[in-house]
Amino acid sequence: MELNKYILRRLIEITVIFFVILTVLFLLFRLAPGDPVSRMVDPSMTAEDARRLIEQLGLDQPLGTQYIIYLKSFFSGDLGISFHYGVPVLDIIGERLPNTILLFTTSVILAALTGIFFGKIASWHKGKKIDSWLTIGALICHTLFLPWLALIIIWFFGYRIGWFPLNGILSPEIWTDPANGFFIRMLDVLHHMALPLMTLFIIHFGSYLLVMRSSMLETLKEDYIITARAKGLEEKVIRNHHAAPNAALPVVTSVALSLAFSINGGALTETVFSWPGIGRELVFAVSNNDYPLALASFLLIAIVVLLANLLVDILYAWLDPRIRY
Amino acid sequence: MTLLDVKNLSISYQTRGGPLQAVEDISFALDKGKTLGFVGESGCGKSTIGLALMGLLPPNTTVTSGSVRFNGSDLLSLSEEKLRQVRWQKIAMIFQAAMNALNPVHRVSDQVAEAILAHTPGISKTDALAQVRELFDLVEIPIKRMNDYPHQYSGGMKQRAVIAMALACRPDLIIADEPTTALDVIVQAQILDEIKSIQKELNLGILFISHDISVVADVCDHIGVMYAGQLVEYGHRREVFESPGHPYTQELVGSHQALLGAQCQPQSAPSAAPNLLSPPPGCRYCDRCKEGGDTCRTEAPQWIELSDNHRIFCCHRDPEE
Amino acid sequence: MSIDSAIPRPLWGVMSRLLTYGLVICLLLTGGPACSRGKQAAALKIGLAEEPRTLNVWLASDANSQKILRQIYQPLYRPEPATLKLVPWLAESEPVFDPETVSYTVKIRPAKWSDGSDLTSADVAFTARLIKEFKIPRFSAKWSFVTRIETPGPRTVRYYLKAPTAVFLSRTLIGPVVQKKEWESVARAARQLEKPLAALLNHKIASPVSSGPFMLTQWRRGAYLHLQQNPHFFGRNLTIGGLQLGPHVENLLFKIYGTSDVAILALKKGAIDMFWQGIQPGYLDDLAKDPGVRTISSAKSALYFMGFNMRRSPFNDLALRQAAAALIDRDFILTRVLQGHGQKMFSVVPDENIFWSCPDVDRYFEGLPREDRIRRAYDILTRSGYSWEVPPVDASGQVQTASGLRLPNGAQMPRFTILTPPADYDPHRAISGLIIQEWLRELGMPAYARPMSFGALLQQVKERHDFDTFILGYGKLPIDPDYIRSMFYSKFDRPRGWNMSGYRNPEFDRLANASRKVIDPNQRRELIWDMQLLISRELPYLPIYKPALIEAIREDRFHGWVPMQDGIGNIWSFCRLRPTTLEK
Repeated sequence: MELNKYILRRLIEITVIFFVILTVLFLLFRLAPGDPVSRMVDPSMTAEDARRLIEQLGLDQPLGTQYIIYLKSFFSGDLGISFHYGVPVLDIIGERLPNTILLFTTSVILAALTGIFFGKIASWHKGKKIDSWLTIGALICHTLFLPWLALIIIWFFGYRIGWFPLNGILSPEIWTDPANGFFIRMLDVLHHMALPLMTLFIIHFGSYLLVMRSSMLETLKEDYIITARAKGLEEKVIRNHHAAPNAALPVVTSVALSLAFSINGGALTETVFSWPGIGRELVFAVSNNDYPLALASFLLIAIVVLLANLLVDILYAWLDPRIRY
Repeated sequence: MTLLDVKNLSISYQTRGGPLQAVEDISFALDKGKTLGFVGESGCGKSTIGLALMGLLPPNTTVTSGSVRFNGSDLLSLSEEKLRQVRWQKIAMIFQAAMNALNPVHRVSDQVAEAILAHTPGISKTDALAQVRELFDLVEIPIKRMNDYPHQYSGGMKQRAVIAMALACRPDLIIADEPTTALDVIVQAQILDEIKSIQKELNLGILFISHDISVVADVCDHIGVMYAGQLVEYGHRREVFESPGHPYTQELVGSHQALLGAQCQPQSAPSAAPNLLSPPPGCRYCDRCKEGGDTCRTEAPQWIELSDNHRIFCCHRDPEE
Repeated sequence: MSIDSAIPRPLWGVMSRLLTYGLVICLLLTGGPACSRGKQAAALKIGLAEEPRTLNVWLASDANSQKILRQIYQPLYRPEPATLKLVPWLAESEPVFDPETVSYTVKIRPAKWSDGSDLTSADVAFTARLIKEFKIPRFSAKWSFVTRIETPGPRTVRYYLKAPTAVFLSRTLIGPVVQKKEWESVARAARQLEKPLAALLNHKIASPVSSGPFMLTQWRRGAYLHLQQNPHFFGRNLTIGGLQLGPHVENLLFKIYGTSDVAILALKKGAIDMFWQGIQPGYLDDLAKDPGVRTISSAKSALYFMGFNMRRSPFNDLALRQAAAALIDRDFILTRVLQGHGQKMFSVVPDENIFWSCPDVDRYFEGLPREDRIRRAYDILTRSGYSWEVPPVDASGQVQTASGLRLPNGAQMPRFTILTPPADYDPHRAISGLIIQEWLRELGMPAYARPMSFGALLQQVKERHDFDTFILGYGKLPIDPDYIRSMFYSKFDRPRGWNMSGYRNPEFDRLANASRKVIDPNQRRELIWDMQLLISRELPYLPIYKPALIEAIREDRFHGWVPMQDGIGNIWSFCRLRPTTLEK
């Protein structure tokens, strides 16, 4: 019951925070300089045209009225029509979001699993060569500049040795051929996913490795590790059964949060690889003053992060028997 | 028969300043069914001896000389693999339960059963848990608390659980390292009684390490007093406790008796411990000793037999007294 | 509950290990099948820099949407590549003007839409009426002087104008024609709503009905656009503008490339045949080494200029503007900033627009060295009553760095800004701003170049009129010079209007309005030239440069790109490109 009361309290908090975010963002966009129409530098666009467009987009109304209108449609599930694309915002998000999740969530999972595994190994062999190599490697990868690494990888693997396509999520040549079935098409997507996945993996696995390593080192100082050794257990058992579960607790929660944030995508990665995801779309929406799309994207991120925090708290309680709400 | 025979054991560990003598030239013997207590203040090296016997010394600590014979075989020369088999099956350790001796994310019963499963090949989980149940009965922990987590136990219960875990594989020797520290007096008395009765029942040898001489005197047959890595007094408990020979032992006994006896000035011990990086050539207790003379600083102390079962390591005491 | 009781330990480890290896192997294996190219007929592969915004022709204000839509919707008239003169395209012949009724009559070629139905005058009339009724942005201003549209026959359209208007042919009749059937129902539905224009603009067109050489097969958003030859294209095998048309390409594939770097790699690798976006001169050396890639430089119909705020001091003074003009060394900018890839601009109409560009505009000391320019500027300012604490030319006639310029009324000239777009948006304009800042400072003018975000810049300049000077540009100017009127007519000096400098000259207004009414091109040209001369003397805008458009192509699979102003990506190229055969 305690847990249920806690969840309820948190959900109420989340709802309040969500609407505060909505209001602040709503106002921020409209108060910032520039508007969606002024960016259209087209000599055939007259002042009347601009004024008419502003009016059609509903931006000529007072702020308060615009806000109420937005709230009303929000509650009926309508997040508005994108100024830039002219299609419902949910359509665009629905198209882009799965691509982002496919790439970024997979990269987080791979990087986390690998990082945690090797962090465990590094900590166990602290001070020895393998630890030095892993730690230095992790640090170097962590500090690489993503667009640079991305271009190098594209140049080498895509151009120089040509094993992989240069960018994009699929090959039009394969997808426009009616002879190719579902399986070949999916393989094509995976083929395209290889390079961005590699880039993201290299950049991100280092931090998981380092976190797990230091968490393990802290855990290994604990007394129950001496007890385990005194009990005559094998080294592998002590490492995996006694040390790792305790060391993993903070790491697991940070991985869970990373998974939540992965829907953010990454505008840089998506731009360099022409991966049609939500991250790049969000950056365009902001720079194009496409208020409905930008607002909806930010709200999506907000709600996912808010809920993820709650889930992580629950997860932590599930994993660590000492935590009870 | 002699369960444990230690001769001239010396342990030192590497610090940035150089090697530090944690334990110097300790010799003692322990029989089955008997209890030997090591008493001394923190830093005197008593816990180090316990860890050394289990082969659990940290990487920067090594046994520099001496021999340890357990049931006739040399412990120090065993390979890691053999040592792992000896641990817990033959020699088990009771840790101070106020520390994090139990893993917080596993159930207590699982942790005790783990010891059984590791050393009894082929046994099933159910059988192991049945044995755990018996052990919990032995140490008087309610069975319905078996599957709880360590943080749900009280201090006394945790200590009992640790004891139960130590007994899981029916070892011959138990090293109890400060098992009653941090428990309140009443629970402490209960635990000590339990230890005594278990020992009688299972005919265990116990090496009891504590800083509290009254506890040691209660439980042990023999007492060894340590100071600055050296054994300074050794003997039957009554003799050591009632007529301590070494000035340090007198201090220890004195601070205790001040609580029980008539109003008299408690003799407090100035707490400065000697520098073990470069120990003085003479008696290490010299600076604190009430009876010390100038010769004590330079003259090496020697073993002085006070009786058959009682000897002290001093340079001052006049043997005729 | 804890992890270990949920999943047995050993199984967990095995599972996560298997998952990782499986995924890695999967990725590697995909090299095989994915390497095979599609088995369909060869497609012309074109790289775009950004995803098209929409296929709704009324909403499509971005260049990339228009690139696609121009394959689909066709105009009555369009310029031909050699002389840029307008030739009949969907129309059959030149429009016939009737001065009595003030009307134009246009005959339409026999043509069909891609769905097989005939393209008739009903479609043409419908398009015009739609634009007028809904006041569609970017189009409606061009139809404001058309009062009535009639369809005397299935292939004849007659337009009635308020008054003779020169730009009717060159600006109005070059707009797209859409199918009445496709848009009629959309218009009807939109009329019922509260915001009909928004409904029209936001209508999602899945398959636009095409009258052009290609039609849309599929648009997979975020990935590609696939267009196929339109079997009903009216121009097939016709010779228009002296060029015989196809098309000879069966499929078009448009792919999106987020960065030029990757697009160039794709071109070199052969993944695309053409990158439809201007590339920076920095790539030329690298591309020169690759024998498979060819670069083509085209002149643009563009104008990059410095604008002055004539509504307030100090730039409401002509002398100051002329002095600034004297100091700007276009050769320097062309060679140093554009690295030679571009042209100097002296008039607001580019030189290449041979017919309309006035050759006699003031060139403001072109070719003079630095010091002489400073002397000239000094003369201009001194004559108008300016003075300095430290003059740019000292008593003995030596040029020195000036400071403390004082206005004729004696006041110190206040600091002023040169607003430019930021360097990551357009490095040319940003750097030009900095260079001009230095030149002006040499004369003691306290100039401060200020790059700022493009949206904020436009708002400040166009809406709030709160600026001193700016450097902006029009990347795509129409061939018809009527835009000069939009830029300088006094009526358009208002928030969001195109008269950003606040130029108000009744003489200019008179010339501009007259030029709209005159039908005879030569007469009109006189007026247009006079307008340019006026602008060049009074300097509301100071034209500086226009960059060249550099495009890169491969020719091993297709060849026949038609050079034209504003690039090779024109309809003539698409109608004439042929697959490259193996014979050399």
